[in-house]
Amino acid sequence: MDRRSFLKTGCYGVTLFTTAGLIPPLPRRAVAASLSFAITAEAVVRTLIDGSVLSAWQFTGGVNGAGPGALGAGLVVRSGDIISVALTNVLAQAINVTIPGVLENTPACPPGATQIYQFTAPAAGSYYVCDALPGDIGRAMGLFAPLIVMPADGGNRLNAGGALFDKQYTLVLHEADDRLNAAIVAGQAYAMADYEPNYFFINGLSYPDTSARADTAIAMTVGQTIALRIINPGLIYNPLHFHGYHVQVISRNRSLETAVVDKDTVSMCYCLLPKVACFLCTVIACLRASGLPASTDASTRPGSRTDPWRRTYFHLFGI
Amino acid sequence: MAAAQTLANGTSLRVWSFGGGFNGDRAVPAPVIELIEGQSAAITLNSMMPHSIHPHGLDVNQANDGVPTTSGFVGMAMPMMGNFGRVAGLPSLGSSYTYSFVAPHAGTYMYHCHGDTVLHQEMGMVGTIVVRPADGSTDRVWTGGPQFSREHIWHLHTFDTTWHTQTLSGAGTVRYRPDVFMINGRQSVAATADSATAIRGMADDVVLIRLVNTGYLPAVVSLGGLTFQVIASDGRPLRATPMVTQWQVAAGERYDILLTLTAGTLREAQVDYYNIRGTAVLGSATTMIQAS
Ligand SMILES: [Cu+2]
Ligand SMILES: [Cu+2]
Repeated sequence: MDRRSFLKTGCYGVTLFTTAGLIPPLPRRAVAASLSFAITAEAVVRTLIDGSVLSAWQFTGGVNGAGPGALGAGLVVRSGDIISVALTNVLAQAINVTIPGVLENTPACPPGATQIYQFTAPAAGSYYVCDALPGDIGRAMGLFAPLIVMPADGGNRLNAGGALFDKQYTLVLHEADDRLNAAIVAGQAYAMADYEPNYFFINGLSYPDTSARADTAIAMTVGQTIALRIINPGLIYNPLHFHGYHVQVISRNRSLETAVVDKDTVSMCYCLLPKVACFLCTVIACLRASGLPASTDASTRPGSRTDPWRRTYFHLFGI
Repeated sequence: MAAAQTLANGTSLRVWSFGGGFNGDRAVPAPVIELIEGQSAAITLNSMMPHSIHPHGLDVNQANDGVPTTSGFVGMAMPMMGNFGRVAGLPSLGSSYTYSFVAPHAGTYMYHCHGDTVLHQEMGMVGTIVVRPADGSTDRVWTGGPQFSREHIWHLHTFDTTWHTQTLSGAGTVRYRPDVFMINGRQSVAATADSATAIRGMADDVVLIRLVNTGYLPAVVSLGGLTFQVIASDGRPLRATPMVTQWQVAAGERYDILLTLTAGTLREAQVDYYNIRGTAVLGSATTMIQAS
């Protein structure tokens, strides 16, 4: 079975959820579990959609910790679970594991070391794990992973008592400025003021790979409710535009959205107002599959005039 | 089609546009298209060059959504011009095509060319679509929505002038560094003088401003400190309508806002265009709000 289209079936024969590429650690459980994840921070060389290569960093997870798409790591847990992340750092500099809003100011993991980070899984919602040492360079180089927290009962709701969905997808947005990567791997500094990304990714993939892969090409049957967990650990804002669909924004940064709900263009990050940039952006949106045979989606992005990787599309298939 | 737009510094910038342009006196943005909710719409694009019309936000079916990769383009492929439009291998709909759909919801939308989109949209192939309520009324955004007495569209867009002067297709990496910041295709001084943009009304006028961002930067709109109400976005009423003094409009988003004028109001409204990291304002466009 393609792990990226892994369909998780609970022990009662009920389809719990599809989290493409993110394999839930366990089916339904009566009590909170203690879960351990082993993650390695390492250097990788990515072949980009135009054939060029990019030296990057990534978190690489173990059997239960593989990420969606081309992402090396991703965690799916239940609210209340006791989580232990063992980070082994094979990079040449100290990094750490943080979860914005949940687990911050954690100790550094020196080069060559293994450091344990423990936390209790927070309220059901979408989060991300990232390096926060030093500054934004780790995230720019790729040190992040989605963290999906399901309700404690394991049901297919976005939160306890919240909206029901039939399937869920995790869409991690990030980007790269190839000049930054070249400078960092050469041991040089890079001023974030000069950060002008020229490659754009969903789950580490660019178009057309995004529409060839089951975890970014969204397949649904008419009437299904699809939950999209849109997570932006990148360092720029991304407006995500849906063709053929308005979505319902359920929550932003773990707060229920009560005003700006029905959208065809969802801004990630939303947080310029008040004029304070915030890049802890997560949005959960739902859409109801209609009879539209297929519809493309694109996010409108600034950036380079190279083509086609300056925008990354994925496809929605309503059958 | 190719056209020219005069900039604040007096130079003429090569732009691309649709039809006769906004307000009949400027190429960019393109003309406003007005439709009525529930009624059939037909928009015909005639072009020999490869372009399309994408009715952004109207949730039309694929045959009419103007996305060349899935539903073709209008015009002919131009391999001799560096594959202008980047449509090689995609189906041509001929030199004329009529996009047909039923406008589903009253509200504010936009249209743009979806061929080699990042370039063609930046060059100016962008316009606003206003869908009137089913009864055709022009004093409410949607049936049963709040009433307004004056209406403006503020179409937000930026140009990077180097994109308008270089070889257009097949170029290597050119990062987007906008240097012209506009409301309705006009920079500050011209926007203040422009009757389509500057708000000049009377006390107690309820002014609807349809904010449409077809640029690529997050735009923060403020009305000289005046409080305004955000009532709708992307063609749908909001579930709650915040009263604010500034509001962010991301690329591709639309917001409908209401401002009630009071006697003697005289303010400078401003649109700040932020960089994509949200860390700095790259440029602004201003205009006037005035009540007698
Ligand atoms: Cu075009
Ligand atoms: Cu669209």
